[in-house]
Amino acid sequence: MRAISLELYKLRHKRLFLMAMLFFTVEIVWIFMAVNVSISRNSDYAGWEMLIAIISSMNGLFLPILAAICVSRICDMEHKGNTMKLLLTASARRSSLYAAKYITASIIMLVVCFLQGIAIIAFGIANGFEQPVPLNLLTRFLIGTVLTNMTIIAVQQWISMSVKNQVFALTLGMIGGFIGMAADLFPFEVRRFFVWSYYTGLSPVTQSYTSEKIQFMIQDMNSLLPAMVILVVAGIGIYLTGSIHVSRQEV
Amino acid sequence: MNQIISTYNLSKRYGKTYRVKNVNLTVNEGEIYGFLGPNGAGKSTTLKMILGLARPTEGKVTVFGKDLEANRPFILNQTGSLIESPSYYAHLTGLENMRVVQRLRNVPDKNVMEALKIVRLDKQKDKKVGQYSLGMKQRLGIAMALLSFPKLLVLDEPTNGLDPAGISEIRELIKSLPQRYEMTVLISSHLLSEIELMATSVGIINDGRMMFQGSMEELKNKNRPTIMLKTQNNKLAQELLFYKGFPSMQQDEFLVFENMTDEQVANANRTLVSANIDVVRIEERKKNLESIFMDITGKERSL
Repeated sequence: MRAISLELYKLRHKRLFLMAMLFFTVEIVWIFMAVNVSISRNSDYAGWEMLIAIISSMNGLFLPILAAICVSRICDMEHKGNTMKLLLTASARRSSLYAAKYITASIIMLVVCFLQGIAIIAFGIANGFEQPVPLNLLTRFLIGTVLTNMTIIAVQQWISMSVKNQVFALTLGMIGGFIGMAADLFPFEVRRFFVWSYYTGLSPVTQSYTSEKIQFMIQDMNSLLPAMVILVVAGIGIYLTGSIHVSRQEV
Repeated sequence: MNQIISTYNLSKRYGKTYRVKNVNLTVNEGEIYGFLGPNGAGKSTTLKMILGLARPTEGKVTVFGKDLEANRPFILNQTGSLIESPSYYAHLTGLENMRVVQRLRNVPDKNVMEALKIVRLDKQKDKKVGQYSLGMKQRLGIAMALLSFPKLLVLDEPTNGLDPAGISEIRELIKSLPQRYEMTVLISSHLLSEIELMATSVGIINDGRMMFQGSMEELKNKNRPTIMLKTQNNKLAQELLFYKGFPSMQQDEFLVFENMTDEQVANANRTLVSANIDVVRIEERKKNLESIFMDITGKERSL
């Protein structure tokens, strides 16, 4: 807890939360504009399923980039000021430092996810969606997004901590965003190896084109469970490997 | 006297080359130990190993009589350090940087203010460190090292980037620490003049090897004058004087004698003249500390 509060203290004046909020606002405004256009063209689409499906696929583009930026800002301050030796000689432990940074980045991304959930509900109510708020779908959407975020944060943190030049980490984030957005175009066998594809992969609603029309299908929890387990195991593996690797690097 | 730091055959290898080789360094309680050496001699690597920032390839470090590997948190809690360039968060103010270390070290507020006052940053504490000059960053680094008023202070080239007034101020501060706060100070530098003015003990390292270790007095004692003597036949003169009890070494065109009194010089001269060996030069040469240092570390290396 002390390490996390220290991380938050060190982020003072960095305006990281403000940046994350701006990023979130841009994404949400973009999504809502796109959804409004779709609804005005075909009012049959007006429903929670469409909203969740579109947000999931847009998350594939936006959240990897946001995660890369957040993690990079959190890790880069140690590289810039050569502060690792300061922290380590003040008897901070490398593994707890790594964990504190991971949790801090996760908290920021978690806040963004919850805000998305609230924005979805607000948008649906404001647009007079007929069905009641689908709390079950929303919860599953949030779980999928949070798990994918946490795995991506583990990947980004490993790169941001081990390679001083943050261009690598940010480029990876952008490549991730591209893959995340185009994930549905890859065959399943290829797709499952990319962590960024799990925003849509774990989404409770999928889109499919049949007879030139988009259909939104709800996935049941059981069919998503194996992918979820794979993602969590991969995330833990990446986190531990990164933490051990960075701990062994000399200052 | 209690040994605060001792290293045993401390070595560090990067690839195939040893950056530090078999260094046995001993720092006693209450000392200001000057760790001297040219750039790249292995000073920072040695200090990093003493602080547990780098793992030794071979050898052992004990601090406060305890093995570093097994007692790292205990040792680091009582040690303040500044290694190489100062560490800081440029986006935070000086005071906030101090607070980061305060949280890690768990020390009271008054320490923060006192440490800032000691390095004269108390009036600049609310400025962002990114806007500090190099000298101010260095002072902040020293304040962070002093924050917990530790028993041991390890400073790696602390006067880098300071102007002459700043250097003398920091020097006076370091000199006062053992008495004022009962600290032991290990300070490294590539400038002999700097160490000469404050250290009580000295270690000289070159190419990763300890070339000299002892008190400042011992180092200064090497500062003895030598007599240089040139004759028409140096070889014969050397042999003759050796039998008379004046051993010498040949250096260029001179015979070099150490520890000779005026009387002995006159005596040697008389012996040579009576043996028909013409004496063409008798010179006294004094070595200053700089040239002793150069002798120890090798002249061809730049400092």
